[in-house]
Amino acid sequence: MDKRKRRNDPMPVITIDKKYLKSLTEPELSDEKLTERIGKLGLNVEAIDEKEISVEVTSNRPDILGALGLARAFNHFFHKSTKFHYQINDEAPLLEITVGGGVRRIRPYIASLAASGVKFDEVSLTGFLNGIEKFTETYGRARKKIAIGLHDMDKIEAPLRYDACGSERFVPLNSKEEMTYDQALRDTDKGRKYADTIPRAGPKRFPVLKDRKGALALIPIINSERTKVTTDTKNILVDITGMSEYLVGKTADLIAANFIDTGASVRKVQIVYRNKSVITPQLTTDTVGVPVSMLEREIGVEIGVNNVAALAEKMGYETSYTGNVVNFKIPTYRFDVINEQDIVEDIAIAYGYDYIRPVPVRNVTPGAIDTLALFRDSLANAAAGLGFDQMMNSYLSNDQTNFTMMRLSIEKSAVRIRNPKSESITIMRTSLLPSLLKNIAASQNVPSPLECFELDMVFHMRDGKPKEDYHIAAVSAGSKSDFNSIKAVYESVAKEAGLESKLEAATHPSFIEGRCAKIVSKGKGVGFLGEIHPEVLNNFGIEEPTAALEIEL
Amino acid sequence: MHRYEKAVLEALRKGGAASLEKLTESSGIGRDEALWAIESLSKERMVETTRSESSEAALTEEGRRYAAEGLPESKLLKRLRESTVKVSALRGQEEQIGLQWAKKNGLIRITEGNIMLTEKGVTDAEEGVPAGNVLVQLSGDPGSYGVASKSSPEELSELTKRNLIQVRKRARITEVRLTQKGMDAALTEKAGEGVGALTKSMIASGEWKGKKFKQYDVGVPVTPRVGGRLHPLYRMMENIRRSYVSNGFIEVNGPVIDSAFWVFDALFQPQDHPARDAQDTFYLSGIDEAELGEKEYVRQIKNAHTRGWHYRWSTETAKEMVLRTHTTNVSAHYIFDIFSKIGDESVNLELPLKFFSLGRVFRNENIDYRHLADFYQTDGIVIGKDLTLANLFDTLLKLYAWLGTEIRFKPSYFPFVEPGVEVYAYSSELKEWIEIGGAGLLRREITGFKRKTMNVLAWGGFGDRLMQVKPGCGIRSITELYGNSLEWTRGRGGMTQCLL
Repeated sequence: MDKRKRRNDPMPVITIDKKYLKSLTEPELSDEKLTERIGKLGLNVEAIDEKEISVEVTSNRPDILGALGLARAFNHFFHKSTKFHYQINDEAPLLEITVGGGVRRIRPYIASLAASGVKFDEVSLTGFLNGIEKFTETYGRARKKIAIGLHDMDKIEAPLRYDACGSERFVPLNSKEEMTYDQALRDTDKGRKYADTIPRAGPKRFPVLKDRKGALALIPIINSERTKVTTDTKNILVDITGMSEYLVGKTADLIAANFIDTGASVRKVQIVYRNKSVITPQLTTDTVGVPVSMLEREIGVEIGVNNVAALAEKMGYETSYTGNVVNFKIPTYRFDVINEQDIVEDIAIAYGYDYIRPVPVRNVTPGAIDTLALFRDSLANAAAGLGFDQMMNSYLSNDQTNFTMMRLSIEKSAVRIRNPKSESITIMRTSLLPSLLKNIAASQNVPSPLECFELDMVFHMRDGKPKEDYHIAAVSAGSKSDFNSIKAVYESVAKEAGLESKLEAATHPSFIEGRCAKIVSKGKGVGFLGEIHPEVLNNFGIEEPTAALEIEL
Repeated sequence: MHRYEKAVLEALRKGGAASLEKLTESSGIGRDEALWAIESLSKERMVETTRSESSEAALTEEGRRYAAEGLPESKLLKRLRESTVKVSALRGQEEQIGLQWAKKNGLIRITEGNIMLTEKGVTDAEEGVPAGNVLVQLSGDPGSYGVASKSSPEELSELTKRNLIQVRKRARITEVRLTQKGMDAALTEKAGEGVGALTKSMIASGEWKGKKFKQYDVGVPVTPRVGGRLHPLYRMMENIRRSYVSNGFIEVNGPVIDSAFWVFDALFQPQDHPARDAQDTFYLSGIDEAELGEKEYVRQIKNAHTRGWHYRWSTETAKEMVLRTHTTNVSAHYIFDIFSKIGDESVNLELPLKFFSLGRVFRNENIDYRHLADFYQTDGIVIGKDLTLANLFDTLLKLYAWLGTEIRFKPSYFPFVEPGVEVYAYSSELKEWIEIGGAGLLRREITGFKRKTMNVLAWGGFGDRLMQVKPGCGIRSITELYGNSLEWTRGRGGMTQCLL
């Protein structure tokens, strides 16, 4: 089974040109050493071959979702870089983007930056763009939350405006012909892929970033061919749009840091909203003070005041001291540091999980098994003692198996799955017998009698609320499996379970008429037993006579 | 003469000849016992047998897999029907096998690195690759080899060459006849010297005293007894439970069907997180919306989301009912319960509190032999004062000690813990480190514990996956564990030894 599917929090995997990554870090490093060192950062190398390296990045570190970010983290950790501070010397904005009222309800926020003196070759440009793509796919939730566009600034003519526009024409990226925005949504790959990132309802107006000549980008779907970025591009304008002003601003900070790391110089852009004006990127950094005692108390090791700064540097923090409190300057490209708990983790990673000596939790506490679980275990042992093999089937079923094949009419009140992927999973099972009959059908190459049981959960709806119950069911198939044989099992199971009950003749569609009994306890029906109806046996493909019981516990 | 031999002779004495089935029935001994007796009597020339020979094809493990999911070349054809595939795109071992056989059988041609279907390939993509069809037929009925050997000899030889089937000759006894020697023996032979079966009256009367007991052949075959047995996975879960309890943990339970609030929101998973997507999580219909509970706690969670993730948190989204994707919802309920008791003078909380839970969790997957939609997890928490990452490591090492394999911790990220840990165990079966769970110190945004010294160690673990890790279990794939047939449970011997 795919490992990531099993996590509740699947993690993105980035694939980078191996030589490129090494050129950004340590060119002479062997593949083994590189893998080992990336592991120390708290990341996993998924695969490494001649050309590429794939790294699983934890989803709290969007700043690492590209070669530059990974290299930055790596170089800090192994003390190859002491660049902690990112700044733009020229405070004056290079450009202005006016934001119209039309995008307010569609995609209200934009941030921007300009990078000049950019030097990309084929590999580094691909690396840069892949990083952005990964960021918008994962952290940007497939561009819904955050989208990023890069443009050749030398092809742009001010003034720039971000607003909702009606149908105009432009040539989408990698296209030869002019299209309307509507057509671009329908007729380009990106258009089809991201069409649902903008609201469909209402009059046909699309969020567009444009200059004097027309659209630079249909946001957040596709850029224009006119301003395409290539290895010849010297100056780049970046637009970042999204639903949160804070996040588009932070994303601008991250991209600015990435450009600065490539050696380019970054200029600011003024964003003029209708009622205010902001300048991006701001390259903000917050400072969080953490007492050394807290670091030691949460990690459980003695670090020592003097060692904290070195550990912090490994994770990219600049520090200063106020007595025993360490002030951590949060790097501008970090999104995930909310408070001191996040810093505790970074220091623990820098310290190395392998070096943290396990320490027992003090105080002895009494343990206890849940009483009902003990009861069920005891009953399961008794059922196995009667010669029945235990089965553990899926809690998920479908109307066909759960009802129709059992000759039962479909119960609307079963707990239903709203978003099934296949017809085989549409409800939560209401009974254990159908899966046990399937188990018998799958077992017919072993000598009979075939006897199995299950003790587990079934689900019903009662007054609009789900009800989770435990049942026990047993099935016996073979030439001697008849009413009396299963009644004998019932007697034994009921006695073992302390169930005060009696049998009453009854009819049940799944059983042969006249060979079926209802199990009644304290005036209430708690189950059935009898010989399974031959039509049911045919439905499941069972060749031998079969008797069965099912009891609510 | 052994009593089984005696029984066979006795049964044959009346008719002189009988089929094996008849003989088994009239002699009153088992089939295996009768076969042994016939073999032994033939050597003494007391009986003669007529045998017929037939062949049967048994599928190898690889053959069984292909019978279920299709031959590798069939999969390739299916892909090619959708679009062209580049040779360089086929990297897996199985894909290579498919490529090789499709080429060999003239189903594809390769032009400039692109694979294309031939006319024969188009037909086979439609009707199935002949060898594959024969394989499926054999998997359903091994005896159909006889028919197939006439109708599809080429396919059979291909399947044999590919080691997908093994042909076995089967000799069957159709008739057993008594010879004159046998007849004489039947009439004169007294079944050995001494007492045969010891009876109740012999024991009571003391008649056995001074008598000699007839000696039995200890080599006589018997059919092994099959009792009922608990499912290996169930026993695995029992081991986990025992480990928790012996480490001072109390078992708790929680709902399988729960609101998104407890499964996700209370665990700081943002509402637009991909794991909450309908592609991954089962949502339920027709259920009343959940009550979210204590207002103060809901507000605390809402604030944590708004501040931490920068979006508008929706109560409606939190109210949706889902099948839990982890057992951590149970921990969330208990943490809230403890949170609400802090400050209540009448409740005496004896710290540390240690809880665990076991149960099924669900992921919305297309199920096939490799993917399951529900499987087992366990969750545990320790609530106490001044708990540390070092405490967490120690607790997990003790809980997993019974596995008898090496455990390793790596930094990782889960939204509700900080620091976060991934727990790995070494599988000597697979010769690799397997992730067996996630852990960490719960974020204070979730616990709501105002006092900075109060904190919670929390972890979740895969239940079923531990069977891959426990030395001696011999489980390579988890899906194997969900084999729910008597053939599987009966064949799955040795669990008592490995699940110590």
